Amino acid sequence: MENLASSSIENKSDIICAKQIILGRRALERLDLLFLAVESLDFNGSEAMLITCEKLGLQNYFPNRVELWKRRCHNPLRRTTRRGQLSSTDSQALIVLLCSMAERIYPLLRQLLSSREPENINSQRWQLLEQRLGELINERMNPRRGGVQRLLNPAIKQIICKDLVLSLALASGPGGVERMCASLLDPTP
Amino acid sequence: MLKNTFLYDQNSVRLLVEGLPDTSLGQSEDAVGIISSWKLELIGKADLEGKREHLEAMMIQVLPYARYLISGVKRPFGDQQSTVSISSEGNQHKLTLRSSRPGVEPMAVFIDDAELTDLVRCLDQLRYDSRVPISWNLTSDNPLKRNEIVNRVPIAQRIFAPLIGGTTFFLVASIATFFSLQTTVEFKDNDTNSGKTHLNN
Repeated sequence: MENLASSSIENKSDIICAKQIILGRRALERLDLLFLAVESLDFNGSEAMLITCEKLGLQNYFPNRVELWKRRCHNPLRRTTRRGQLSSTDSQALIVLLCSMAERIYPLLRQLLSSREPENINSQRWQLLEQRLGELINERMNPRRGGVQRLLNPAIKQIICKDLVLSLALASGPGGVERMCASLLDPTP
Repeated sequence: MLKNTFLYDQNSVRLLVEGLPDTSLGQSEDAVGIISSWKLELIGKADLEGKREHLEAMMIQVLPYARYLISGVKRPFGDQQSTVSISSEGNQHKLTLRSSRPGVEPMAVFIDDAELTDLVRCLDQLRYDSRVPISWNLTSDNPLKRNEIVNRVPIAQRIFAPLIGGTTFFLVASIATFFSLQTTVEFKDNDTNSGKTHLNN
């Protein structure tokens, strides 16, 4: 009997292929928001992203923190936003990085989603996540934008957090990259 | 020939696949090209067993369900005739399995989000395992259609923009019509006055 360990982080730069992936405005917003959710769950998230980049062989795309930040600044809701489209290869590299980060924090995501966890402890975990995500959104996004105000709305913050955590959990694992990629290419309703 | 057994383990879900390599296709001895049996163990739930067709039926329904769920769409997959169907029930997901044997009642298993993601990861591991070179009858993940995701947006939010646009258009059109009519009347009045003046003279 052989035990297949959960897919290990390995060189995934070969995933970035010739397939054209041009992310729209909403997709860029969502991608950056998912990265923020990762950072909210993992206090060392930004450092971990750079280490994961090296492990995945993505140094050509994100050689340092600034380059990664510049790609993420294509999110139109950012305080310092960059104009123009994110290239297809950069988009794919960001998606691969996000899914690997989701893989890394999967135990935390699972803990949040599980109904078997003690209810009071889990609600405290959700509150902490909402608080941290709110702080990061306040810090990095333009609060004058309607989209940012919607994200900070206490009435729907919980729903948004749940959606982000579930999306990250489904984006982890061997089929996660393909699923997340297809999801980000959904048309705007 | 030795039977190969592969285990895909993920917190609350354990998938055990047994089978033999398909030597007619030149598969190595450590591969599984022909699945003889499989067993799915969900912690705290009944164990599920079956043949390759049943496992494939589960993958056909569960993986697209997860694909839709990542886009925020809770669409049920499978119907009353399907071997496996999955749908959303409140905060849980209802996995229904129907036996091919007559007289056997369908079995429903309720799983939460964490168990669903565990199950999806297990099925993904099997699907992408190079030691199991089976061509599963699965569709690739594609972007959803606009009409499929439109229900995700609350009706108030969907109606708000067209409603404001329509109201603004109606108001502007009404004001413009009102002023243009007034101008015409004034013009006619002037005309009449001038006519009168002309006659008086």
